[in-house]
Amino acid sequence: MENNRQLTAAQLMRKVSEAMFYVTDLNLYLDTHPDDTRALRMFAEAAENAKACTEAFEKRCYPLTVCSAECDDNWEWLVGVWPSQKMS
Amino acid sequence: MFIFTKMTQIPVRINNKNPKLASYILSQYGGPDGELGASLRYLSQRFAQTDKSGIALLTDIGTEELGHLEMIGSIVTQLTKGEGARSFDRYGVGDYYIDHANGVYPASASGVPFSAAYLQSKADPIADIMEDMAAEQKARATYDNILRMCDDPDVTNVIRYLREREVVHFQRFGDTNRTDLKVFFT
Repeated sequence: MENNRQLTAAQLMRKVSEAMFYVTDLNLYLDTHPDDTRALRMFAEAAENAKACTEAFEKRCYPLTVCSAECDDNWEWLVGVWPSQKMS
Repeated sequence: MFIFTKMTQIPVRINNKNPKLASYILSQYGGPDGELGASLRYLSQRFAQTDKSGIALLTDIGTEELGHLEMIGSIVTQLTKGEGARSFDRYGVGDYYIDHANGVYPASASGVPFSAAYLQSKADPIADIMEDMAAEQKARATYDNILRMCDDPDVTNVIRYLREREVVHFQRFGDTNRTDLKVFFT
């Protein structure tokens, strides 16, 4: 995470996408294999990583979920690339 | 409940415009084997499931399909953004423009509006899971057809990804615990 400062918003988003994809894929697998200890260990690590990647993105760019939106003097939730738009 | 996340599963970045291709891809939005039908099917079927593993799988895959619906909507929007009536007409999709202009409307590639008749909810885990596995293969086959029609790499990247997810979902549905389901036949 220490060299995140050099990354562009698109690169930080890519890290979030990759991390979340890993979480989703393990999530579906664990739904039907809840006792697989290796997968459980992988999930714990994947979830931790996804959290870190999301925080890194939100700190530098904009909130991904409404609870991360700052509301000091304006509504930060509107900021950012909505799924209908194209990230530059 | 659902909490919206302001991102797509993989980034959708389409540089070229192509209203015709958009009208083909729209079928995975509101067509017979599209993502809207998939998410409604799984998110409805789960209410009758008794096996926790089955409930979780239908919920989680149904949720992912909603995300895929959003990605398809994003592809269609980006392929048609800024295109006017004449452009739609030149691409041979003037009829879509007349009814929806640049809007994303849940319909099939042949223009049939979305219908809940595309899906079932039988409260019978064997019937439901078998339908779900078939649905994943039909969606995969539709993505194959789109790939045969599409030579824009920005689009094929996303379509290939979505196609692969159908294969994974098929495998996950195939992993559901059928031995626990015997209770429904006694």
